[in-house]
Amino acid sequence: MSTSEILFWFLSVLALFSAVMVLVSKNPVHSVLWLIVVFFSISGHYLLLNAQFLAIVNIIVYAGAIMVLFLFVIMLMNLNRESEPQKNVWMKLFGVISGGLLLTIFVSAFRSSADIFDKTAQLNDGDVGLIKNLGKVLFDQYAFPFEISSVLFLSAMVGAVVIGKKE
Amino acid sequence: MNAIILSAIWAVIMMLGSFMVKRKGNFRHIAAFGLLVLFVANIADTYGYSLFNFNNHGFLQFTRFGYLFNSIAIFSSLIYVLITGKEISRYGNHTAEYFALIFFVMCGVSMLAFYNNLLTLFLGIEIMTIPLYILTGSDKRNMKSNEAALKYFLMGSFSTGIMLMGIVFSYGGTGTFSLDVSRAGIPNLYNHVASFLEIVGLLLLLVSLAFKVSAAPFHFWTPDVYDGAPSVFTSFMATIVKAAGFIAFIKLCLVRMTATSAAIDWKMIFAIIIIATLLVGNITAVFQQSVKRMLAYSSIAQAGFMLFSLFSVNDFAKEGILLYSAAYSLATIGIFAVLVKMKDYTFEGYNGLAKKQPLLAATNTVFLLSLAGIPLTAGFFAKYYMLAAVVKTGSYLWLVIVAVLFAAVSVYYYFRVIQAMYFKDGNAETEAITPSFKAGLLLVAALIILIGVYPGIILNWLYF
Repeated sequence: MSTSEILFWFLSVLALFSAVMVLVSKNPVHSVLWLIVVFFSISGHYLLLNAQFLAIVNIIVYAGAIMVLFLFVIMLMNLNRESEPQKNVWMKLFGVISGGLLLTIFVSAFRSSADIFDKTAQLNDGDVGLIKNLGKVLFDQYAFPFEISSVLFLSAMVGAVVIGKKE
Repeated sequence: MNAIILSAIWAVIMMLGSFMVKRKGNFRHIAAFGLLVLFVANIADTYGYSLFNFNNHGFLQFTRFGYLFNSIAIFSSLIYVLITGKEISRYGNHTAEYFALIFFVMCGVSMLAFYNNLLTLFLGIEIMTIPLYILTGSDKRNMKSNEAALKYFLMGSFSTGIMLMGIVFSYGGTGTFSLDVSRAGIPNLYNHVASFLEIVGLLLLLVSLAFKVSAAPFHFWTPDVYDGAPSVFTSFMATIVKAAGFIAFIKLCLVRMTATSAAIDWKMIFAIIIIATLLVGNITAVFQQSVKRMLAYSSIAQAGFMLFSLFSVNDFAKEGILLYSAAYSLATIGIFAVLVKMKDYTFEGYNGLAKKQPLLAATNTVFLLSLAGIPLTAGFFAKYYMLAAVVKTGSYLWLVIVAVLFAAVSVYYYFRVIQAMYFKDGNAETEAITPSFKAGLLLVAALIILIGVYPGIILNWLYF
């Protein structure tokens, strides 16, 4: 077993374990903390695939921004056992059915598509996810939309200041 | 290209002006000058004098149609700033920023005139609408304005989400964001024409664009937002922005919907939307007591007429939508310019305006006649081109008859204003009217009659 394989199995087990823990922990704050572990181990997978940019962005956006938002909401709502709304049996049933359907689709998509079978990952030698390639595409082919989105952000910024400022 | 970049630059200039220029009254002069620069630059661009040359990799496509629409939009906003620019300084201390936001909107409008890719379509729509949310809520002390802004923001965000979903589905069905698609080699084509995913995506895009141009049954935000927003900005939203929405829409129809018409009956869908829009717009406008709210519903009704160009995507429709956007924009800007000066926005508020301000009443009559589509005004030829385009397609002739009936209904509520101005006794109160304002109104009225007598004055530019 090479190092990357060991790392792969370790990260996979970690990701699956913490994903299960997200579901089974009773305290919502613990769930969120386990979710952070999930995101970190998925970022580890991205690193293994030589996709550094995706790994960093995943940590910044999901583990950073979105998780803080989750924590905020949970702490703001101040959930405890008494105030927890009763869940309908039908709702649980439909939740299981739709989740199971999604799983079936994922599994069958991986099993049936011959062209991605056996090459689901480019370990060690993949270079699609490198920042160099991303930058080349972004500043050459997609230069115009990239630059023009700065106008969008600028207008949103001006708008926020205009709305937020005292008269 | 000139217009897109220069409008963004001028928006930044307006922002800098907000703290470098001391006199508040100067902002509208700077803005008017900027729009003039944009107008000249756009015309120069039309004839090949582009200031910025770089490979945009097919994200934009520069056609005569796009250039001409862009010139019309910039010219209309120039007229708008010249006539009603003074009123903008009424709302708060951020006059320069409001003008900056208007220039950002112009950047979005220019992008929509030239887009050739769903990515640029999305960016253009967003650059165009985000400043509008702010302009809607610019009257911060007024609860109605706040409510309108929040409503517009929430509904607009949802429609943006639907648009993104549509773009994603369309990408899944074709493998490209570009408007031009080669469908050879895509597996499982529905009716051997288009992928099922693409059709779902185009339907979602249709929903969100119909929302942006306020076509029924996606029009519910329009009356509240147009009524709640400060009248000056309603005028801008109802004219230039709406016309730009239609230009974006017709481009999508010309390319994508024509190509997939064998898989799905777009004509039937548009016919249903048109009938619903005309019905809702015209019938509800009849019962309004406030002129501003009536104009909001009338803008829905006018959108119903503009939708004919999407129904019959041919050369007549392309010419018609240009003529319609010019005629409708000029007339509506004029009507709102008069409305802003009124103290009372109800129909009674117009009673006896002809005696107190004969020139305002006369020009307002011209604008209303143009919206109603009376001959010798621009609105007549605009409506004529729309209906002629439908006749040319050779099917759905009953749609033309229905449209003419609804145009007759629209005459009722437009003439109610004229009746109030000329035939009712009252004391219509207006704010101080300056001679330059009167001159501006006269210019717009003259333009409307000029286009009405000789529509080629606009359409010829499409060809040489």
